[in-house]
Amino acid sequence: MSKPSSFSLRGRKAVLAIKDERDASIVRRQFDRLGIEIASWAPGEPLDRPVDLILIDDDFLPVAEAAAFAVPEGCAVIVLLGTETPSRLKLVLDLDPSSFLVKPLRSAGIYAAVVMAFERIARTADMKQQLAKMEARLRARRVVLAALVQLMHAQGLPEPAAFALLRRMAMEQRKTIEQLAAELVAQSQTPRAAG
Amino acid sequence: MTKPPIPVGILSSKSGPYQAMGREILKSALMAIDEVNQSAEFDFTLAAHVRDPGGVIAEYHTACDDLIRNVGVEHIIGCYTSASRKQVLPIVERTERLLWYPARYEGFECSDNVMYVGASPNHNVVPLMRYVLGNLSRELFCVGSNYVWTWETNRVARELVSAADGRILAERLLELGESRVEHIVDEIVRRRPPIVFNTLVGSSSYDFIRAFHAATAGLDIPMLSCSLCEPELKIVGAAGAGCLTSSAYFESIRLPENRAFVARWKARYGDDSSPSVDGQSAYVAVFLLARALQRAGTSKVAEVRRAAAGHRYDSPQGPVWIDGDNNHCVLTPRLAVSNAQGQFDIFWEADAPVKPDPYLSQLDVAVRPSKDGRIPNAPHLRIVK
Repeated sequence: MSKPSSFSLRGRKAVLAIKDERDASIVRRQFDRLGIEIASWAPGEPLDRPVDLILIDDDFLPVAEAAAFAVPEGCAVIVLLGTETPSRLKLVLDLDPSSFLVKPLRSAGIYAAVVMAFERIARTADMKQQLAKMEARLRARRVVLAALVQLMHAQGLPEPAAFALLRRMAMEQRKTIEQLAAELVAQSQTPRAAG
Repeated sequence: MTKPPIPVGILSSKSGPYQAMGREILKSALMAIDEVNQSAEFDFTLAAHVRDPGGVIAEYHTACDDLIRNVGVEHIIGCYTSASRKQVLPIVERTERLLWYPARYEGFECSDNVMYVGASPNHNVVPLMRYVLGNLSRELFCVGSNYVWTWETNRVARELVSAADGRILAERLLELGESRVEHIVDEIVRRRPPIVFNTLVGSSSYDFIRAFHAATAGLDIPMLSCSLCEPELKIVGAAGAGCLTSSAYFESIRLPENRAFVARWKARYGDDSSPSVDGQSAYVAVFLLARALQRAGTSKVAEVRRAAAGHRYDSPQGPVWIDGDNNHCVLTPRLAVSNAQGQFDIFWEADAPVKPDPYLSQLDVAVRPSKDGRIPNAPHLRIVK
């Protein structure tokens, strides 16, 4: 399934924790125009529904029940800033927000903040995926090296030729080099263990 | 008994790259103000205070500031480009005034201090693209002025074209007022695209239309526009014929309100002159304002805004009203082809006014174009005989 565009906001689900009624009504009106579904929520209450976006007023910080405030995976946080003092920004950064808005709110800026928040979340998720892949590769490096040495010995090949062979075999078998290396190492260990 | 005057600011450029449209907006606004002042319907008169920013963006800020500080207006009619509107936005928001903005624009804004009287993107570029993709071509060559209207209009076009498995063949941009268009026309002649989408504004558009017409005679490359209007057809002459245009207003609309409006217009400005879409929209803006002032019984912005929402006005372009959800105008989209007489032959129109969708939040790009002449996602559109 293709990922939703960050520009398309219809049907996204948001919870709002905004102190000032004027700010809250500006967000509600703008979200209605954008087709974003809204529920109100008090920080500290568990988030018991699927949520794409949390808007939280910095007047709620620090969140008293910090343990209860676990941002669901893939959910964007936008903070409403009343002051730019470092002490307050430190609390804001603890929430790892994807975007922010400056109070008092006006309709201009809300769409951009939401789009940026969703885009940030999507890019961060991509990056996490890449990172996980890289970590797995790093972990497999020992195995690849072992398979390479094994091929060099068995076939009497220099290292570049052994690696080229390993890569070609992986491609032919539609496997990653790491998968194939693990299989080769496992195969060579089994008879030795038996013998 | 003398009626009390209510000062109204008019911000309109009589010089600069889009002076033709600025003049049209001014002419229509002044005509509407005179009609309001002569009407027994209103227990006040409107006193027009006209400022001419001369097409210089920064001057819009200065002129708006002058109107608010020195004249004390609460309501301003005008601005044409989005850049000019963005200049006055901070002042009208800070001082709680109301800008009645007549031009169609690219959307993605919703200020409480602006009444967006012109078409929203779902009124113009969307029905145009739906029609073109379903009936003419899935490949477009885009040429436009290098500013936000073109950028965003082309983005919407690109999304719809891509979703229909079509292609944007090129996107060529010219600075506002640029008159060197030959290299783009040469490229069009060389590449022979099936269709050209023109989002140039003002003099650049006139230069382009003339050069395009001269160079592509016999090549059968239709041109599309979301802004071409009758006074511009007079400027470009015979070269302007055959342009497929999306607009909420054409002089040729067959409504009694429009026939009477056109007759009054010609009586005032001459038989050979024509009202334009943006001008007519300024006329509509004055009447929406005047009626809201009358109902509110005050010129205070908050009350006028409330009084304007949802109030239907049978305007020259048909019934219109301000959507209280977003301060944009509910209006009727239309498609037409320009003819050799400097008029438009309307061939599509919505059978009911369409709610504005300034953020295109209801747009479903994945809807496939239809071959049966209907415009998907726009079920109200019907053929006008």
